[in-house]
Amino acid sequence: MRMTGIWAWSGIRSKSFASDSLKKKKLLPVRAMATPSKTPPGSDPKQLERTGTVREIGSQAVWSLSSCKPGFGVDQLRDDNLETYWQSDGSQPHLVNIQFRRKTTVKMLCMYADYKSDESYTPSKISVRVGNNFHNLQEIRQLEMVEPSGWIHIPLLDTVNNPIRTFMIQIAVLANHQNGRDTHMRQIKVYTPVEESSIGKFPRCTTVDFMMYRTIR
Amino acid sequence: VTLLSYPMAAVWHALNHYAYRDAVFLAERLYAEVHSEEALFLLATCYYRSGMAYKAYRLLKGHSCTTPQCKYLLAKCCVELSKLAEGEQILTGGVLNKQKSQEDIVTEFGDSACFTLSLLGQIYCKTDRLAKGSECYQKSLSMNPFLWSPFESLCQIGDRPDPEQIFRLTSLQFFSGGSGAPPLFPISPAHTPSHNMPHRQVDTVLMETPQDTLELNRLNLESSNSKYSSLNTDSTMSYIDSSVISPDTVGPLGTGGSLLSKQMQNKPKSGRSLLGGPAALSPLTPSFGILPLEPSPGDPVYLQNYSHSGSGMEPPPPGVPPKKSVARISQPGTKSVFAQSGNSREIIPIPFNQTQTTAPPQTSTTPQVLSPTIAAPPNVQPRRSSRLFTSASSTAKENSKKLKMKFPTKIPNRKTKSKMGKGGNTPSNLNESIEILKLDSSMTEGKVSMGSPQFQAFSLQKAAADGLMSLMRDIGRGYLALCSYNCKEAISILSQLPSHHYNTGWVLGQIGRAHFELAEYMQAERIFSEVRRIESYRVEGMEIYSTTLWHLQKDVALSALSKDLTDMDKNSPEAWCVAGNCFSLQREHDIAIKFFQRAIQVNPGFAYAYTLLGHEFVLTEELEKALACFRNAIRVNTRHYNAWYGLGMIYYKQEKFNLAEIHFKKALSINPQSSVLLCHIGVVQHALKKSDHALETLNRAINIDPKNPLCKFHRASILFANEKYKAALQELEELKQIVPKESLVYFLIGKVYKKLGQTHLALMNFSWAMDLDPKGANNQIKEAIDKRYLPDDEEPVTEDYPYDSAEVEESQESSMTDADDTQLHTAESDEVL
Repeated sequence: MRMTGIWAWSGIRSKSFASDSLKKKKLLPVRAMATPSKTPPGSDPKQLERTGTVREIGSQAVWSLSSCKPGFGVDQLRDDNLETYWQSDGSQPHLVNIQFRRKTTVKMLCMYADYKSDESYTPSKISVRVGNNFHNLQEIRQLEMVEPSGWIHIPLLDTVNNPIRTFMIQIAVLANHQNGRDTHMRQIKVYTPVEESSIGKFPRCTTVDFMMYRTIR
Repeated sequence: VTLLSYPMAAVWHALNHYAYRDAVFLAERLYAEVHSEEALFLLATCYYRSGMAYKAYRLLKGHSCTTPQCKYLLAKCCVELSKLAEGEQILTGGVLNKQKSQEDIVTEFGDSACFTLSLLGQIYCKTDRLAKGSECYQKSLSMNPFLWSPFESLCQIGDRPDPEQIFRLTSLQFFSGGSGAPPLFPISPAHTPSHNMPHRQVDTVLMETPQDTLELNRLNLESSNSKYSSLNTDSTMSYIDSSVISPDTVGPLGTGGSLLSKQMQNKPKSGRSLLGGPAALSPLTPSFGILPLEPSPGDPVYLQNYSHSGSGMEPPPPGVPPKKSVARISQPGTKSVFAQSGNSREIIPIPFNQTQTTAPPQTSTTPQVLSPTIAAPPNVQPRRSSRLFTSASSTAKENSKKLKMKFPTKIPNRKTKSKMGKGGNTPSNLNESIEILKLDSSMTEGKVSMGSPQFQAFSLQKAAADGLMSLMRDIGRGYLALCSYNCKEAISILSQLPSHHYNTGWVLGQIGRAHFELAEYMQAERIFSEVRRIESYRVEGMEIYSTTLWHLQKDVALSALSKDLTDMDKNSPEAWCVAGNCFSLQREHDIAIKFFQRAIQVNPGFAYAYTLLGHEFVLTEELEKALACFRNAIRVNTRHYNAWYGLGMIYYKQEKFNLAEIHFKKALSINPQSSVLLCHIGVVQHALKKSDHALETLNRAINIDPKNPLCKFHRASILFANEKYKAALQELEELKQIVPKESLVYFLIGKVYKKLGQTHLALMNFSWAMDLDPKGANNQIKEAIDKRYLPDDEEPVTEDYPYDSAEVEESQESSMTDADDTQLHTAESDEVL
């Protein structure tokens, strides 16, 4: 039943895509007006993890890159260290491929970019695609960033606001700031919603008094 | 053998002072020299005690072990190295030979058969032959009611041993007077070589579980005391008379020991203060407790030397294995110090009549309290007193005859040693025993009046042993109740223990666990924090404490606990479980998994670690691995209901409700008093469309624990699903009293009102629910409010389970995406511009 999910995106995709293309058209002139409002940093994803609503599942996936400078590869992209980064070493678009062993619910991507240190290496336009494999990727999100410095949260939701289920995610860096060629990405995290461990599919309870009785451990 | 006794004594001496390297070195030399079985055993013992069971195993394995104590040690090593089949073969004979029956084992191992059988029981239980295991444990207990661990194991495997039957003095033949059954401890001539067994046992236990040792030690003390006392009674007479008690003997001793005594002078005092404190507190109890006060730690080495070196007293009879003397050696000189330091003088002045009078001034008692060292062979003490008695009064002899204990060859040897060293101690011993007497007036009164000191001594012993037995019965009943999950009963039994026993880590730990099983986490936390305060070194039970803290979400306390325990003992599975729980609470599941795996690595027999690991895998949705973990937990311990619950939970997640119910019920059959389990079963039954059963189950759960809010909540939601809105509403109103701050309750109330068409009340409750959920974890509340405008027929689809998984997932959206929302909004606002 879930298998239909992947095709169900077409609706969303067209929608978001439409708005994206709209954005594109309008944004370009806006940027030309020289007072672009900077992309505000999102909250630290660690805090989200602490709330227990999401869980990082990047470690379950196979990561690959379209290109990288030696010593600036997947390890650096996934090492939880904001000082290190992946640096591409090839032609655009620069791709990050995240492949799961099984169909996985993904709710959100978080990536860290820092315009202050990376300058022209900082990505400005990103596309997120999902699919079963390399050959049927569909773009579900495209976003532009203006001098981002911090975490950028990219929710991956379908039309009815449910998290998507997919085998593969591809993040494509379509453009960098100041027309930079290669790109830097410091961290990427992939989040899945946490299923309530309690019985009887009730929403999350909010008090400890109640929660204590939820499970036996 | 006599020639070797000195080197052997040196080895034992080193062993008793934890100088394992020295002991091993000496024993290796000794073994190279003589290659006798005795030396082999000694060397193996050295290896084993220094914690290298594998060395002992290979050493013993490489040689044919014929003596029982070698076999026992080898089997023990096998069990430790989890070579169970081999261990069993050693104890019971292999496939080729005829299997030995329990009786054969008893005859072969003699006094140490109780330990052997206990070990064999352990093997049987580990290999899942519970019936045989339980037989062995029972037999072991019947031979030595002072053993706790067989009883504990019996309880754990789900047997229901009767503590009233097991912990009874009547089963101690030596009290009733020489029925011919092997005495508990190593006095029977046949088993002289095994003399050390009990001590060794104590020692090893000491290394492994510190808190039990005291207990064990006391037991040991106890039993050995009684043994010896009786022992002395008949054999002593011949020796006692002039040499031992006469001032002359004391004199020479004193001079000889003076050097040592001076060195030791300080020691006793510190020891006294250590032990004296608790002792002072304890007098109200059924006490055997007074004996441990003076654990006769100092069996004077030099004393022995004296006897050997030609004080000419009584050279040990050739047949006597030197080991025995060695074991006694342990604390050099302390005793004699006392003898010299003035106690000896007191011997004479204190007449036996005094027994009836009040206890003499503390001063006399105090010196004895001396060394708190647990390893001290406790056996010697009471002997002194009895000896004194015998010498002092002529009646003693007759009494002793009545006792009819036969310990022929051995005794003289022992006697001499003890005599010399301990003559001085008696008075204090007496005094203490007098205290006992007073306390247990009912027991002893008659006997006191009889006036024969010998008999008094005996009755004192008996009173003390009785006290211990009654304590063990109480604790046993409590533990049994806990193991059969009658937690309330367990709490009430254990709470009635005398306060100085109640306020110990073990007892409090069990009570804490009982509260934990009842899901009374607040109380459990209080009790466990008390345990931490009293015995900060206690590791056992801390995994339960950590889970308690996990439930209560007390992350600070949990991480402090985790830090402390992992710093303290990196080899205990408990410590790693605590660390895992700590990270689990922080939602660092990957790290938690690593820690739980380490706990398993450290001790693969620790069922709870598997369970916790399983729960962690469930949280990371690796259900296959989780299943494997729970199954492993069950493999290790079939009565570990948490693991059965975990399996049920996974099947529930997979919507295999039938399987889920089966597993939950299995868990319930182990722990029938768990309201949480019943609640889960109720929910599963509801999912299976057996709503009536579900309500019944939930009612049972509420009867068991009226405070469990989740049961009420589920009952309300089932009533709601069955369209009994009034009843649901009433249930929820009651629930509001229990958990006034739970937004879910208001949420459900709102839904009920909506069903009843009272939109304003519904909205009011929804908004309360929202207010109580500041983080907005539950988006569906918002949604429910929005949906109120939808026609009703749209809802019934999800009404049965109003919160579909999709909804749940989505609910988590709001909290996390605020940031992106704003981000998107800004982008959009840009567009607008």
